[in-house]
Amino acid sequence: MNEDIIFTNLAKICGTKNVSKDPKILIKYSKDLSFFKGYPPLFIVWPSNTQEVEKILKFANQEKFSVIPVSSNSNYRLHGDTIPHNNNCGILDLSKMNKTISIDRKNRVVMIEPGVTFADIIPKLQQKGLRLLLPLHPTGTKSVVSSALEREPIIIPRYHWDSSDPLLCTELIFGTGDLFRTGTAAGPGTIKQQKRSGQAQVNPMGPTQFSPFRLIQGSQGSLGVVTWATLKLELSPTIQKLYHYQSSDILELLEFQYELLKYRLCDQLFILNNLNLACLIKQVPNEIRDFAEHLNKWNLIYVLSGRGKLAQDKISYLEGDINDILKEKKLKFSNQSNLIQEESILKTLNEATPNSWRLRLSGAYQDLFFLSSYEKITIFTNLVEKQIYSDLGIYIQPINQGTSYHCEFDIYYDPNNNNLVDNVKDKFLEISKQLMDLGAFFSRPYGILAKEAYTHQSAENINALKKVKKIFDPNNILNPGVLCFDN
Amino acid sequence: MTTDHFPEEEYQRMIKRCVRCSVCKWIPQVQIKSQKYASACPAIDIYNYHPYSGGGKIILALAYEMGRIKPTEELRDIVYKCTECGNCAIACKYMNTLEPLEIIMRLREKLVKVGCGPMPKQQEYIEVVKKLNNPYNEPHKKRTDWISDDIKLDPSAKMLYYVGCTSSYRRKEIAIATVRILNAAGVNFNILKDDEFCCGSPILRTGEINTFEEFMNKNLDMIESKGIETVVFSCAGCYDTFKVDYNLRRKYNFKVLHTTELFDMLIDSGQLKLKKDVPLKVTYHDPCHLGRNAERYEDWDGETIQLMPLVSINIPPKSKRIGTKGVYDAPRNILKKIPGLELIEMERIQEYAYCCGAGAGVKSAFPDMALKTAKLRIEEAEDTDADILVSACPFCSTNLQDGIQDSGSKLKYYDISELILIAMDIEPKRSNKTTNEVI
Amino acid sequence: MLKKEILKEFQDIVGSENIDDGDVMTNAYAYNWCIEFVNYMEGKDPIPFSPVPKAVILPSTTEEVQKIVQLCNKYEIQFKVQSTGLGPWNQPSTDNSIILDMRRMNKIVKIDVKNLYAVVESYVSGAQLQAEALKYGLNVHMPGAGPMTSPLASHTSMAGPGFTSPQTGHSARNVLGTEWVLPSGEILRLGSIGLKSNPDWFSGDGPGPSLRGIMRGWMGTKSGLGVFTRVAIKLFPYPCNTKFIARGHAPMYDFEIPDFIRAYVVDCGNFKNLEKIYLRINEEEIALICSHMSNFAIMAIFSYTIESLMDKIAFGGIKKPLLVVIAARTKREFDYKQKVIDLLMEELNLTNIIGIKYDPPSNFYAECLRANLGYHGFIATGGFQSTKGQCDTAALCIRTEKKNIPIKKNYIKREVIVNDFGEGAWMTSYESGHYFHMEVPTLYDQTSLESVKGMAEYMELSNQLDLLKHLGIPFFIEGDKLHDEWGPLLMNYNKWLRKIKEAFDPNAVSDSGFYISGKNQSDLKNE
Repeated sequence: MNEDIIFTNLAKICGTKNVSKDPKILIKYSKDLSFFKGYPPLFIVWPSNTQEVEKILKFANQEKFSVIPVSSNSNYRLHGDTIPHNNNCGILDLSKMNKTISIDRKNRVVMIEPGVTFADIIPKLQQKGLRLLLPLHPTGTKSVVSSALEREPIIIPRYHWDSSDPLLCTELIFGTGDLFRTGTAAGPGTIKQQKRSGQAQVNPMGPTQFSPFRLIQGSQGSLGVVTWATLKLELSPTIQKLYHYQSSDILELLEFQYELLKYRLCDQLFILNNLNLACLIKQVPNEIRDFAEHLNKWNLIYVLSGRGKLAQDKISYLEGDINDILKEKKLKFSNQSNLIQEESILKTLNEATPNSWRLRLSGAYQDLFFLSSYEKITIFTNLVEKQIYSDLGIYIQPINQGTSYHCEFDIYYDPNNNNLVDNVKDKFLEISKQLMDLGAFFSRPYGILAKEAYTHQSAENINALKKVKKIFDPNNILNPGVLCFDN
Repeated sequence: MTTDHFPEEEYQRMIKRCVRCSVCKWIPQVQIKSQKYASACPAIDIYNYHPYSGGGKIILALAYEMGRIKPTEELRDIVYKCTECGNCAIACKYMNTLEPLEIIMRLREKLVKVGCGPMPKQQEYIEVVKKLNNPYNEPHKKRTDWISDDIKLDPSAKMLYYVGCTSSYRRKEIAIATVRILNAAGVNFNILKDDEFCCGSPILRTGEINTFEEFMNKNLDMIESKGIETVVFSCAGCYDTFKVDYNLRRKYNFKVLHTTELFDMLIDSGQLKLKKDVPLKVTYHDPCHLGRNAERYEDWDGETIQLMPLVSINIPPKSKRIGTKGVYDAPRNILKKIPGLELIEMERIQEYAYCCGAGAGVKSAFPDMALKTAKLRIEEAEDTDADILVSACPFCSTNLQDGIQDSGSKLKYYDISELILIAMDIEPKRSNKTTNEVI
Repeated sequence: MLKKEILKEFQDIVGSENIDDGDVMTNAYAYNWCIEFVNYMEGKDPIPFSPVPKAVILPSTTEEVQKIVQLCNKYEIQFKVQSTGLGPWNQPSTDNSIILDMRRMNKIVKIDVKNLYAVVESYVSGAQLQAEALKYGLNVHMPGAGPMTSPLASHTSMAGPGFTSPQTGHSARNVLGTEWVLPSGEILRLGSIGLKSNPDWFSGDGPGPSLRGIMRGWMGTKSGLGVFTRVAIKLFPYPCNTKFIARGHAPMYDFEIPDFIRAYVVDCGNFKNLEKIYLRINEEEIALICSHMSNFAIMAIFSYTIESLMDKIAFGGIKKPLLVVIAARTKREFDYKQKVIDLLMEELNLTNIIGIKYDPPSNFYAECLRANLGYHGFIATGGFQSTKGQCDTAALCIRTEKKNIPIKKNYIKREVIVNDFGEGAWMTSYESGHYFHMEVPTLYDQTSLESVKGMAEYMELSNQLDLLKHLGIPFFIEGDKLHDEWGPLLMNYNKWLRKIKEAFDPNAVSDSGFYISGKNQSDLKNE
């Protein structure tokens, strides 16, 4: 393969301004906040539309080089999944594909390109009385489509009907270079024709007897490149009432949140330890540490929402039912919202942050996350806490309407302290392994953890995934080496 | 002679219309209270293959009519592994207009016509009935052995107690208890004694119509000759046969009552006094032939009108035999009136009660199936925590007691008449011997 | 029949009493509802019998299923799986087949109260599972086909719309961990149940991509890609108090109506208003049931016989009926929901017929809660099937209903389908109105050749309309012929579906009659 020929052809496809092999630019994509050590990319290409992406992938198949799709041009990449695993790889940076194609209030759906960020879209939606289903205070520069493709947990679990939410339909190019649209976007008809017949690409299932969008989700760009997606929206509430309960015993908070979610009584709902709540609210390290000291170890945050004429009526009934639960379960919490300004925390729940809240404490972190059943949360928290004594943030998020829990452990550290970095890396790996042995389900295995995660999974699963890879990316041109798709 | 309650054209029309929804395998959906006791059909519960269900047998009927399957032992065995309990019909007719039980019975008749039925053991007992007027291979003159001298009979009475073969030969305690109650209540009644013959139920349900009709006529001629006004039955099978099956074929002038109906009236009128405390927990098994199947066919003189293409309606509407008019309240009223007795219901009761497993010749031809079914029902009774299982049919009594014995259950079984006797402070008479009940 | 030595090998797996290759048995299993018009559409005699399988087998464990599938591979016999078996998609497409009747796999493996899911085998019915889940204040999503069908079948292999979909979603989206015997005989366990140590059922996705993507789409693979032996499905809060007592006798049971449940039937007047009202009600997130249906159907859901339909004069003249049922656990919740709906009724100028012109029997509420309303579709002729089945927005569903009316009327005029004025439709919302589906239940006489032919033609024409007018993908696009017809107009999805089939069923043993066959098999078919 001749790199120059490749570069020239890419320039022909996207324009010379949209391809680069400038080492100063390449270096940004060669590393990230993870411990993964890969290769620098050979080039970066910025397509502007679907047709260019299609051409690029067809070309890649022809010339047998790899590409890794990334959706945001920020430097804030976390998990090693966008760093090349070989020296034959370029970066397909989709950040210039950043159109908000349509916002549909009636059908509560938005259609966006992968380059659209949280900072872009949230205000646009707010203007129309709509809201995205957000992860916890997302970084503004993060790609919304990426977040959905990664199955990042959302903070309103009652709206999390399926693990795939809020992702609906997609347009994508498979690794073969074939264009495809998933769900009802597949047709019949073009998107324009579908819209004319009243459709809004809101049914993600299909077409017919398979749901390829589920294969693309979680694939870390190794099966297809999404060029637009529709995402579910909800209506913005007119009243939001925040509750913050604290306890030294996570079990009683877990018990309570279970009831809240089982009966669909609240919107946002999650548990943070004191450090993570402090990181979320405060901006600078000493304020964070100081505030954390004032908080109880475990903090449950939930929000009651109402909308329209009967907003207050709704809040009243929810409060009444919740009080009944508290009485029945003999739980005594008091709303600690006087410790934190309701407005400030609601802001974190409804908006993006320019810089990751997880970076505020120490400048770097490793997030160790997996899915767990209700019963095992405390087993896992105990295991991690026994081995990481300080600067450990914990975030427990019920997902999929309470059928499982995203458990996240944020190990904060100073990236300039090399000893600490090595120590964190060792612990990260060791603890992950222990967690896996105990049944922690690493459903989104990134970077250095992926191999280990797959050794804990049955061989049949891996064989099946490899078959899928062979179908949709037989020449292994998309992000080779991630997950269980070895080079 | 066939009856025109289910004309052949209806049969031919209906066997093409099963939608294979499987509703026939379950009790009515809104009555399901647990996974364990959701099922309606003993045949498919035991044998598992779809053709054993009510809907499955409708398919067999169609396949047979279409010549896709022949009258073989394979077919015969599936069709006869069924107690004709009618539970499938109740579930189906909740919304549909098919008649699974009628279809099954007609299918048996058709198989008999071509010599592919009844089952050999059933054929044996049919021959015995023809010879000895009972299926138990017992001498006819021994039919009255249970009668003791202290029982008062009135030859001029207008009420007849029709004892039935099973109570006469096997479950004598039921006959004895019945007459004692009637005597205690001061009811004048008579018994046919040697002039009583098998009602024909075990023959009818095998599809052997001709022999059945012989016995039907024999019985009706006898009873009518005696000017009887009311016939009382302690056997649900005999009761149902007279009330429903005889009435379909030949009208008669006398009234038919099950003993539970009569006893309930006698208690209400004060003629029967229940004075002794019976501090027991009981659960009641609804016999199929006292409950869902004991509903008469109603004459319908209407018209079927095509409302629109493909849709016909009956004007006036035809009543659906869906077990609504079975005898459910009378036995329960009695049990509730027995002082100290606590009635705990099983999950499957009334028109969706689970069969005891004995009927339609199954006890003879497939004793394993009968026993397995009984044990399923025993388990359900045990789950109520009751001490006693009570019912109102000697055939259920036999099979359920076999089930109790075989499973080692701690349950005791009583016929309702025995419990009444106890409440009247009269000790029921029981034989300790359990014989092999059928040939 | 199977060859003796092959029969013996199957017998060694399940025991001789659990496999039957007799004429009677296999013919009985060849029958199904709607097979007559499937046959007609394939140019065959429109009889209600499919190809007769060689045998029927009753496995009781996943390991037995695996061994059966392995034997099928060894002897190149296709297999077809069925649970309660309702519908033509349970039928084999060839007589070189064996039917796996999953009746003996009937365990509720667990109801996980804390993680809000249940794990079931094939032959647990919806009503059985609901009766058990009820004990914990939980509910299960049941398909419109009724509570007597298998939740496992609905969630893994079939469709998924249900009357309670506003609150319980769609079967495909309620799936968690899944145990699946692939056509190759491998046992694939999706998600967290595939962990080597401490497997559990709470997630069906990953690690990485979710293989639920090949498991099913809007429709399942209908036995075309192996055998699902166990599945974890989400449970939902039971919508009201959990007392479920029906006294009296069939069919008009006297149901003890829970405290906080209420039905509304309103006339939306026209299609435009229907869309507006439907969306508004769903946005308020109050409905347990929110279904649009035809005038005929609204009368039918309150009737148990065709004759008693005639009593439902109160519903006569309703142009665009909408049925809404609200239910609540507490009085507060109920008062709020009623307030919302009263406000909506005022705002949208609606009148509730229930309680004013008509009082439903108490059993109606039992059937709402037990998802038994769909069964009322059988009261007119006993034969029905739905055309259409697309799912996206309310606007699409309504447009489809409108466009379909003249086609349907044409077949009504020909007197081959029942006259519902062309308006027979059932539309339900999902997940508080995020998407909607509609289907057109069509009543026909399955015993009349003319009616069967008419129904088949109408279905084909109906599908053609969807293609022409870009009305989305209807339910029954399955089988090679339809996939190859629709594929080129839908991103050539058939090519990918075929590749999946080839990859996972290299020996083509999983019956592809209602799925798709691999390239080689479909080429062979065309020869």
